[in-house]
Parts: sequence; C-alpha cells; structure tokens
Amino acid sequence: MDAWKQLFRDETARSAYESYVSGWEEKIRSFLRFDPDTGLGARERFRDRGEQSPSGPADTESLTDIPFAVKDNIAVEGFPLTCGSKILEKFESPYTATAVEKLLRAGAIPVGKTNMDEFGMGSSTDNSALGKTNNPWDTGLVAGGSSGGSAAAVAAGLVPFALGSDTGGSIRQPAAFCGVYGLKPTYGTVSRYGLVAYASSLEGIGVVTAGAGLLERVYACIRGRDPRDHSSLDPPGETRAAEKRPVRTIGVFDPRKLDMREEVRGVYRLTIERFEKLGYNVREIEIPALEYTVPAYYTIAMAEASSNLARYNGIRYGYRAKGAETYEEMVMRSRSEGFGPEVKLRILLGTYVLRSGFQDQYYLRAQKIRTAIRNGFDASFGGVDLILMPVYPTNAFPHGEGGLDPFEQKLADKFTGAANLAGIPALAFPAGLTGGGIPSGMQLMAPPFEEGRLFAAARRWEEAYPPPRCPGCAETGKWGESRQ
Amino acid sequence: MTEYQSFIGLEIHIRLLTRTKAFCGCRTAFGDEPNTHVCPVCLGYPGVLPALNEEAVEMGYLVARALHCTLASETFFDRKNYFYPDMPKNYQISQFLAPIGRGGYLELALGDTRKRIGIHDVHLEEDAGKMIHRGGSSYLDYNRAGTSLLEIVTEPDLETGEEAEQFIQEFRSLVRYLGVCDGNMEEGSLKCDANVSINVRGSGLGIKTEVKNLNSSKFVKKALSYEINRQQKVLESGGLIVQETRGWDEGKNATESMRTKESAHDYRYFPEPDLPLFRTDGEFLKRVESRLVELPHLRRERFVTEYSLPEEHAAFLCDEKETADFFEEAVRMGADPGTASAWLGADIRRILKRDGLTLEESPLTPTRLAELSGLLDTDRINSKIAKQVVELIFSEDSGPEEIVRERGWEQIRDTGAVEKLVDTVISEQPKAAEQIEAGDLKPVGFLVGQVMKMSAGQADPQLAKELILQKLNNN
Repeated sequence: MDAWKQLFRDETARSAYESYVSGWEEKIRSFLRFDPDTGLGARERFRDRGEQSPSGPADTESLTDIPFAVKDNIAVEGFPLTCGSKILEKFESPYTATAVEKLLRAGAIPVGKTNMDEFGMGSSTDNSALGKTNNPWDTGLVAGGSSGGSAAAVAAGLVPFALGSDTGGSIRQPAAFCGVYGLKPTYGTVSRYGLVAYASSLEGIGVVTAGAGLLERVYACIRGRDPRDHSSLDPPGETRAAEKRPVRTIGVFDPRKLDMREEVRGVYRLTIERFEKLGYNVREIEIPALEYTVPAYYTIAMAEASSNLARYNGIRYGYRAKGAETYEEMVMRSRSEGFGPEVKLRILLGTYVLRSGFQDQYYLRAQKIRTAIRNGFDASFGGVDLILMPVYPTNAFPHGEGGLDPFEQKLADKFTGAANLAGIPALAFPAGLTGGGIPSGMQLMAPPFEEGRLFAAARRWEEAYPPPRCPGCAETGKWGESRQ
Repeated sequence: MTEYQSFIGLEIHIRLLTRTKAFCGCRTAFGDEPNTHVCPVCLGYPGVLPALNEEAVEMGYLVARALHCTLASETFFDRKNYFYPDMPKNYQISQFLAPIGRGGYLELALGDTRKRIGIHDVHLEEDAGKMIHRGGSSYLDYNRAGTSLLEIVTEPDLETGEEAEQFIQEFRSLVRYLGVCDGNMEEGSLKCDANVSINVRGSGLGIKTEVKNLNSSKFVKKALSYEINRQQKVLESGGLIVQETRGWDEGKNATESMRTKESAHDYRYFPEPDLPLFRTDGEFLKRVESRLVELPHLRRERFVTEYSLPEEHAAFLCDEKETADFFEEAVRMGADPGTASAWLGADIRRILKRDGLTLEESPLTPTRLAELSGLLDTDRINSKIAKQVVELIFSEDSGPEEIVRERGWEQIRDTGAVEKLVDTVISEQPKAAEQIEAGDLKPVGFLVGQVMKMSAGQADPQLAKELILQKLNNN
C-alpha cells in the first residue's frame, strides 16, 4: 500500500504510473474518464469545505493518498456521471455520493470513472453505449458486467480498489471474470445516495480489490447509516468480529444439480475440497426457492427500473433530441435516441409487469418468491455459517457472437441474483485458473450484517491459495518495469 | 316530476406550512426568483434519494385526527407513475395503500341540523413544479417541486353548492386553526376539485363529472350549483351524462368541458422502495394530540352559549383562531364579552383593515381591550369618546386609561355640571325649547347634540337627555 501512496507524492512515480495506465488502457479501455487531477481537486474541495462525512469516523491512516476508481453510475462532483449511456454522456455530476465522500474524507483519491453496462443492465459491459471494455487476461473476452470497468482496472493493477454496484451480481461476476475480489454488502449498510438508481430494493455500492484485507478496510470506511438515504442502516447491536463466533461450517450445493459449464463445476468441486482441507466442515444444503431466482429478480428489477429511469426526459439534464416540435415528441425522441436497446427492453417489460390487472400476477408474485428465498437462506444459516456457490455458470465469455446472448446472460444470473433478493452479503473471490489460463471465481454468502465472516474466510483462502495476478500486471510501484 | 338526488365529493389539496420540502431540505418559500429553492433531490437528478420530512407527517396526522379519522399505525409511501413536464422524476411520491388516515368526518351546521360529511382518506404527497407558458415557449420553475401536500378526499355526501361552499369554509378554518396551512385559495395553498353526479332519488350515485378551477369558496358554490342544474337538464331531456372533466368559467358563469376523461390513468402504483415504513409510537401520537385545538365550529357554539353572543358575532370571532384567542384572553382580563365582541367586530376590525395589520401586529392587546371595556361598561366614557380612544391606541401605542386620563376625557356625569350645560343650551335654543315644551319631542336629540358639542363630547348624553326632558317636558 505504501507504494500506492508514493504515487501522488513523487513526480517520477506518477509519470511512470500514468504511462502504465495509458499502455493498459489502449488494450482494455476500463476507464471512461481517467483524470487524477480532477480527483485531487475533489478531495481538496471536500476538505476545504470542512464538511463532515455524514456518519462515522473513517479509517484514515490506511487509505490516505490511495488512488481508486469509481464506476460511472456513482456520483463524484467534477466528474461525468454517464452510467455508460448516451442519455447522460455529457452530464457532469454536481454532487458526490456519500460513500465516495467518506473515502475523500479518509484521504483517498478518485482517479477516474469506469466503464459499465448501460445503467447497470448487463453482464459483460458490452452494453455500454460509450465503448467496450476488454478483459485484461484476454482482450478477446468480456470483463463481465455491469461493473466491468472497475474489475478490469483492478485486475490490471491500475488502482488497488474500485467502487462498483451490484444489483443482481454486477460486482461479483466481473470480479470473478477478472480474477479479483468483489464484495456485495448487506443491503442498506452502504448509503445509496449518489448511486444512480436502477433497481432500488436490490442494489448497493460495493468494492472490488486485488486483496481480501483491503476489501475489509474499504468497506469499513464506506459503510454506515446516512440521513440522506432512509433505507440505510447500521448493523443492529455490536458488529461481531469473526473471531468471536468462529466460522466452522460451509453450506454447499450438490455440484451435479447446478447447471453450469464443466470447467466451472470442476472449480466448484475443487474449491469445496480446498475449504475442507483448510479445516471447514462442509455440509450439503438445498434451497428449493432458488429455482425461481431469475424470474423473481428480473420482474422486480425491471419494474423498479421502469420507474427509476422515467426521469430521463431531456428537460433538466442529459440528452435532448433536437428539432422536436412538441413536449411529447421531445421526450419520446430523447429517450428513444438516448437509451440503448437493453435499457428500452427492461423499461418496457417493467412497465408491463406493473400494469393494473397484471401486478398481482407478476410483481406481487415476484415479491412473494423473494420472501421465500429470504426464508430459505435464513433456514439454511441456522445450520451453516457461510454458503459457498459458483458466481456464474461460465467464465469470461467472448465479445459478440461467440459469447452469451442477452437472454442467456439473464438466465445466468441465477447464482448471483439470490443474494440481492435476500439482501444478504456476498463475496466473490478468485478460485483458480482454468485450462486457458482464465480466472474462475466463486462466492461466499453470509447472513445479513455478517460481512466479518466473509472477510475471515476470504483471508484464510488468500493465505492458502494466493490468486495469481493478471499477466502484464505490474507490481505496485514498479510501473515502469512491467511489460504488457 | 322526477326527483333527483345530487352527490358531491371533494378532493382538497393543502400546502403544508413545513419549513422544508417533503423529501429534501430546501426551504418552502414562494414567489422568489425561479429555481432558487432547489437541490439535486427535488430536481430529480440521477442518484438522489428522498428523505422524509417528519414535520409533514406530523401535520398530516394532526389533520386526520382533527377529522376523526382512523389513524394508520404504520403508513408508507407509493410511487404514482406518470409523465408530465413539471414532474422532476416522472413519478410522484404519494400514498395509495396505507394513507395516514381513513374513515373520518367533518360536521356541518345546516340551520338547526347537523350533517356529517364523510372523509374517505387523508394522505401525504409531494407537489410538482410550475409550468409557465410565455411567447410560444414553456418554462419550468421547480421551487414548488417537492413541497408537502396533504390530500383530503371526502365521500360524496355533499348535496348542494351551498353545502360544498360551507364545507370548504369550515375546512379552511380548521386547517388555519391547526396551523398547518394558511388556506389561501387565491394563492393556491388550498385547492379544491369536485366530483358531481345526480341520479333519481334512491338509485345511488350517477355518472360523475369532475369539476376543476374552483379558485374560491364562492366559485365552489356557483360552479357546483350550475353543474347539478346542467346535469339535471341533460337527464330530463333524455340525454346521458358524459364522464368528463369540466372547468368553471367565471366569465361565462358556466362549467365548460375541458377534456373527455379517459378511462382512469394507470398509475402503476407500487410501494416506494427508498422510504421505509413509518410507524407511529406513543411519543409521536402524544405530540399529535398535544397540537389538537378546539375546532372552529365547536368553539363558535361555545361562544354563543358561554358568552351569550349572537351567532354572527361568534362566527366573526371564531373565523380566525387568533381573534378568538385574543377575545377570550381579554375576557379573562375582565372585558365584558358583549362589549369586547362588538368593538372587535366593528371599529377595531375597520382600523386593522385600513392600516393593513393583524391583531397580533397591532398595538391593541387583550389587556388594553379589557381596559376599554371597563371604561365603557362603567360609563366613564361614552361610545363616541371610545371611538377616539381606539384610534389613539393604534396611533400612539398606549393604553386607554392613560389616553383618557391625559386628555381628561372622562365623561361628565356630575349632574350639576351637566345641568349647567343644559341650561346654557336651552337658553341658546329658545325655538327648540318651545317646541319641546309644547309636547313635540323631536328636537330633544338636537339639544342633546348641542350639549355634547359644548362639552367636546364628554357630557353623559343620557344624563343630558334626562335633564332636558325634566326641564322642558315635565309631563
């Protein structure tokens, strides 16, 4: 971490770093805007205003002068807030998200905004209207989504950590695809103020890092109840350190019963064995309601999205179609021209499932399934301390035709969407490389507010099975020496 | 001749007097430079979230309580989704499934009877911005966007334009009494739409029309009376009522069709995910209860019985809570209710209006009013002097006792002194004196007037009259 801190204190280091970033960016395009000076300005302005972070003391010592990246759907004053969309392509945020404010107060520096699937809708980042991001391990593959830019930037060693958002797996899946760590916190523990809403009851800001320890430190900094977000909360009672209640038992699903590619199945089996070797008890569990994860997730997500995205009409900000003669024409054309096809699809479907006469059938039913899934997890956690599951049925897939089509991608959210529906925390970690040297990730899930258990297990795993860095990723501080 | 029954239901929106908006910290000031009381939240910027204003919730519960509603122990918000230029988010945060209050009533005094008008529900929501059309373009001012509105929906229990007018007046008084709204219909802090239908008596509700543009209680009466009459004519001529929205046109003295009401807009209501359930606890309900005040119509009735005041006086005094409070405080300080009420309703009211003051702002205090009453009731001054005293209270900001003392205005009640004046006047007015002696009492008033003039208004006119009659007309 000290090497990162040198970056903004040493001209030579900074220069080498920026060349390093440019080199990588030509290959992966993880940032939509890379601009450390604006980030430095944001930190200074925040300090100058003498503003107090909305809640809680920050872990100042370890994050001072550390650079980080921010997914482009999280507001940072002075930076664009495009959400990967043409409709906000020229929009600059006039305010800063609470989670980012806390990091600024801790002295960290946001160096840029990362690429993403438009408005968080997608699992590849190829749904971005503003360009493609490539997986640093193999540029012919996607980086995953929707926080693909953040995961790729961390994997390539461009920043030690990045903020992303996870609505149905959008931090965990790109983290798995890029061989890094990704945390989806308990719903409500990190303020959503400043996170552009897609599906309000499912999503939250989370963290991507190359190491488990930093994941915990960044989370400690950004979490906490925020008066600007009334759905945010502090963990009830004392946050229990993982040591207080040792994690002993991990619940797993029968690998034969989960639908996934063989190579992923292989990694799942291996991961289970390895946790056993580390001394954990492994117990098979079943949660039948999980079969309905995808339809429940998409019904709720699209419904909320149709409402959350209604505000983009070209009146106060964002893209406004030219030459419209009436208000109706202006709004229809701005939205039709400004939104990409995936976004339009979800808005239309979301509007449909909320229609009077259909709500009972779709939206309300989905909420009931959601409750059943939550109850299923609660019941399982009565017998196990953590649950281990794959993140995605495939590893990083190719761009374009050779990959998964939009429908297949949606079905593939079956492993990640459950944690969002239940509001529980989940941590994706690198579990090894497959045949072609491509990362494979797995995820651990815990009961609400039990992130501590996730960090403890992830640290033990990291100790025993340190994940490889991406080829061409420089050791920190040695940016001048890497050959990509 | 078929007998028709009419049904009127009102939808009232009041702008709550909260310091800040419903879901953000912007101030609720009006009439300022456009778009100066805005922030990312009320402008619906990407990434913002609503933060519930508890003062607005408390005011909502207060109104619901005053209207005898069943109060929700758990209330939450819903999104009402529709597109309109003045809507920053293109959904309004409102309440649909779990409003603050349901099933209440407001009692109207109709002649000797009382009628209970049912309240369907009371719920909280946010206002939209304001659209201004000018020179072929439309402009948007979001100062008003996000301000707290309370919507009160009545049952269709009102039957005439007069009843509706009275309801609005009573309701306006109520919200002013509670201090939650200034009730100004002209400025839009209290808005009223109506649903009107008629049907053959005993057949239930008819097809309704919505009537809008009711900018004063007077328009409410005129428009609804007109509409009921119009609907009756349509039915009598064998036609059917078209379900539509009509606006009151004051110039034409008629309601005009605004647009055909399409089948109800599908608002796709769903619970607002950004705001948690609001649970009322003992503390909260205690606070609401402590803000309840004696309601206007009950206070009016009490004034009539307790203070033996005529109804019009009681109505005037209770029209504004400040006036009623002032009056009762003065009575507590010793004022005679009849005297205090008469003077408040006449001279004082006139001066306040002339000088553009409220009672609170004026130099008149309950104590001073009590003093004035004391002076009058003990005949130490007469009403003509009292009028001058009142003017001076306002212009000099001093008390009646002081004013009277300084100017030596105490009535001359000493018989001897008055007699002297009477004798002088009689001697100066021989013609009039003769008339009275002859039995024609007409000039008595004139002579009394002369005595008053000679004494600069300070003679006791009653005494002067007695003496004049005594001296000139002893039969």
